[in-house]
Amino acid sequence: MPLDFTVSRALTFGVELELMVLNTRDYNLSRGAPDLLGRLAKKKLPGEVKPEITESMIEINSAVNESHDTLVAELRVVRDAIVAEAERLNLAIAGGGAHPFHQWQERRIYPTERFLHVSSLYGYLAKQFTVFGQHIHVGVESGDDAVYLTHGLAPYIPHFIALSASSPFSQGVDTSFETSRLHAVSAFPLSGQMPPVHTWAEFNRYFDEMAGYGIVASMKDFYWDIRPKPEYGTIEIRICDTPLTVERAAQLAAYAQTLAAHLLANRRTEPVEPLYRVYGYNRFQACRFGFEAELVDPYARKSTRLREHLLDTLDRVAPDAQRLGNKPALEALWRSAQAQDNDSRWLRERYAEMKSMPDVVRQQAQRWKEGAPQEAVAAGGRS
Amino acid sequence: MNFAFLPSLPFTLSYPLLFGVLLVVGMLGGELARIARIPRIVGYVVVGLALGPLAGAVGLDSLLDEARIFVDLALGLVLFDLGRRMDLQWMKRDWTIAAAGFAESLFAFFAVLATLLAFRFDPVKAGLAAAISMTTSPAVLMLLVHDLQSEGQVTERAMNLVALNGLSASILVTILLGSAHLEAQSQVEVAILHPLYLFLGSLALGAAMAWLSRTIARNIEKTREVHFALIAGMVVCAVGLATMLKLPVILALLSFGLFARNDDRSYDLLNVNLAPVGRLLYIVLFVITGASLPMGSLAAGGIVAVAVVAARAAGKFTGVLAIAPIGGLRMRQAIGLGAAVLPMSSLALLMLHDIARLFPSFATDFTAIILSAILMMEFVGPFAVQWGLRFAGETLPVDPTATSRMTARVPTAPTAD
Repeated sequence: MPLDFTVSRALTFGVELELMVLNTRDYNLSRGAPDLLGRLAKKKLPGEVKPEITESMIEINSAVNESHDTLVAELRVVRDAIVAEAERLNLAIAGGGAHPFHQWQERRIYPTERFLHVSSLYGYLAKQFTVFGQHIHVGVESGDDAVYLTHGLAPYIPHFIALSASSPFSQGVDTSFETSRLHAVSAFPLSGQMPPVHTWAEFNRYFDEMAGYGIVASMKDFYWDIRPKPEYGTIEIRICDTPLTVERAAQLAAYAQTLAAHLLANRRTEPVEPLYRVYGYNRFQACRFGFEAELVDPYARKSTRLREHLLDTLDRVAPDAQRLGNKPALEALWRSAQAQDNDSRWLRERYAEMKSMPDVVRQQAQRWKEGAPQEAVAAGGRS
Repeated sequence: MNFAFLPSLPFTLSYPLLFGVLLVVGMLGGELARIARIPRIVGYVVVGLALGPLAGAVGLDSLLDEARIFVDLALGLVLFDLGRRMDLQWMKRDWTIAAAGFAESLFAFFAVLATLLAFRFDPVKAGLAAAISMTTSPAVLMLLVHDLQSEGQVTERAMNLVALNGLSASILVTILLGSAHLEAQSQVEVAILHPLYLFLGSLALGAAMAWLSRTIARNIEKTREVHFALIAGMVVCAVGLATMLKLPVILALLSFGLFARNDDRSYDLLNVNLAPVGRLLYIVLFVITGASLPMGSLAAGGIVAVAVVAARAAGKFTGVLAIAPIGGLRMRQAIGLGAAVLPMSSLALLMLHDIARLFPSFATDFTAIILSAILMMEFVGPFAVQWGLRFAGETLPVDPTATSRMTARVPTAPTAD
C-alpha cells in the first residue's frame, strides 16, 4: 500500500527538542518526567510536550511556524513554562545531546505500551538511547520534493553536526568527540541514510519491499539522519544534538529552512551515489572534530575544512536568508563558525573551570533557563 | 616452657571484634529477611532483638552499651545526609512542603499528647513523649529508599518532611526541657540558658563545620573520592564535638547537613554519595537498636503504647493528606507519602536516652511506653515505607526482567515523532 504524502506549504517549519529532566541535588538525570508532564498537561501551551523513551526525558514539539522570529518566541514561552513547573517539583531542565555523567543502566523506561515494546525488542540499546536530539521539520509540497531535499541536504549534515554539537561528555568522561550522541543512534539496525531513490514512487517501491519482509511497519521505523515524513508533509533532519539554548535551536531550524529554499530554487542534478560513498566519513569527521573536520567533496574530488565550507555556504544562501527573514539567525551561526564556538566548546570550558561534572550540568541547566546571552542572539527584527 | 605468648583466659572482647560480629550477623539477618521477601531492616532488628538477651546471659551487655559510639556515628551520618536532602529553596518555591511537614508533625504531636493526657500523665512529660513521637526514623526511610532504588516526588518530599519533623521535634524537646528544669526546681537561669545553649550551640556547631568543610573543599581536588573522605571525616568530627560540648547530636548534625547544602552558594562541596560507608553503619545501628529493645517492654508498654502508636499514625496521615494534595500530589502519592513518614526507630531512642539522662523521672514513667512503641514500629515502619513507595510507583519494578521477553519481531523506532 503506497504511503500518501500530505502536502504542506513549502518552507513552513517546526522543531522537536528532547530535553533532560534533572534532580537539583547532584544534577544527575531524574525520573521526574511523568510528574512534570502531569503538571504541564494542565497548562495551555503552543505545540506539545510529550514523554520519551526513558523517564528522564521530555520532548517539546513546536507548532508549525513560518518564520524564525515566531519560532524563537514560541520556544521561549514553552521553555519558561516547563522550567517554572519543573522548579515546583525541584527538578531542573537542560539542553545538551547527552547527559555528561549519568549511567545508562540506571534509567527507567517510560511505561507506555510503545516504549515497553521498544525496550523488550532492543534490550540495553533502549536505555542507552537516553540521548537528546533536535529534529527539524521543513514543509514540502510533494513527495518528490521530499526525496529531492532528503538527498540535497545530505552534504550539509556535517554543518548541522558541528553547529549543534553539545555532547562532548558521556558516562562521566570526555569522549574527545564534539558529539557523542550520534553513536547511540548508529547502534540501531535501521539508522543511516535513505537509499538512492529519486522519486516518491520509487521510494514507495522500496518501502513496500521492506514492509513485505516485515522489517518495517511505518516510516517511524527508519531513523535515518534525514527522512521524508509523509504524515506531516515534511522532511525531517534528525542529526542535531539538542542545543543548550532555544535560541540556537531556532537558528538551526532557520538554517535548514534557508538551505531548503536555496535547493528548491537552484535544483541540483548530479547523481547522488558519490555523495553516499563519502557520507559516513564526512559524518564521522564532523562528530569527532567539529568545525575542524576535513570534508570530502566527491564531485570536486577534494577536501575542505568544515568551517570554510560552512562559511561559504552561509554566504551563498544569504539572499535566501534575507528573503525568509533569517538573516540575523544565520549571522549568529556565521559568527559561531568564525569563532569555532559551539555548545561542546562551552561545556568543555565549564569543565575546565569547575572540574566537576555535576557543576557542568548545573550551569547547563542555568543556561537553558536563561537562554543565550544577548550578543549571540540574532537581534529581534528583520533587516 | 613458658606459654606467656598465648592469650590468657578469659578472652576480652575488643571493639573491632564486636563491630565485625554485629556487622556480619546483622548482614546475615538482612539476607534472610530478603529471601523471605521482607525489608532487610526487619532482619537487622530481629538479629539485635536476639542478641540483646544473649549478650546479657554471657555478661556482655555492658560492652553492647559501649557500642553506642557506633550508634552515634551512624546516626550522625544519617542526620547529616538528611539535613543535606532538605532543600530550603524548594520549600520557598512550594510552600506546601513545609506546610505538610509542620502539619504532620503537629497533628502527630497533639494526637499523642491528647492520648497521654487522657491516660492522666503529667503534661510536661506527656509533651516530651509526644515530641519524641513526632520524629520519623530517617535511617529506616533512607535505607529503604536505597534498597528499593526509590526515586521521585514522594521520595524527595518524604526526606524533606522527615528532616522537618526531626528538626521540629528537637527544638520542641529543647524547649520542653526548660519546663522540665523548672519542675525539677532548678534555677530559672538554668531553665532558660540550658535549652538556649543546646539550640544555639548545635546551630553554631553545624554552621561552623559546614564553613570549615567548604573552606577545605575549595583547596582540594574536586573529585568524589577526596570529597567523600572530607565529608565522612567532618561528620565523625561533628559527632565527637557535639558529644564533647554536651550538645544534641541530632540537632548539630542536622544543622551541619542543612548548612552544607543550603549555604553553599559557590557549590564548593560535591554532593557525594555516603551510602557505601552508610550501609556498614546502618546495619550495626539497627542491630544495636534491636539489642536495646527488651521484648518485655512490649507487655510493659501495654495499651498506652498501642494507643500512642495509633494516635501518631493517625496524626501523621491526617497532616500529610490535608496538605500534600494542595501541592499537586495525586491521592496515590499523598497516601504513599503518609506511609513513608511512619517509621519510628533509633532517632526516637536517642531522644529518649538524651531526655532520660537529664530528667530521670521522665524515664521512670515513659521508658517502657516509648520502647514498646518503637518496638512495634520497628516491624510496622519498614513495611509501611516499602508499601508507600511502591504504591506511589517510585520503586524499581519488583521484577525488572518482566519486560525483557521478546514480544514482537517488528522493530519500532525508539524516538517518538
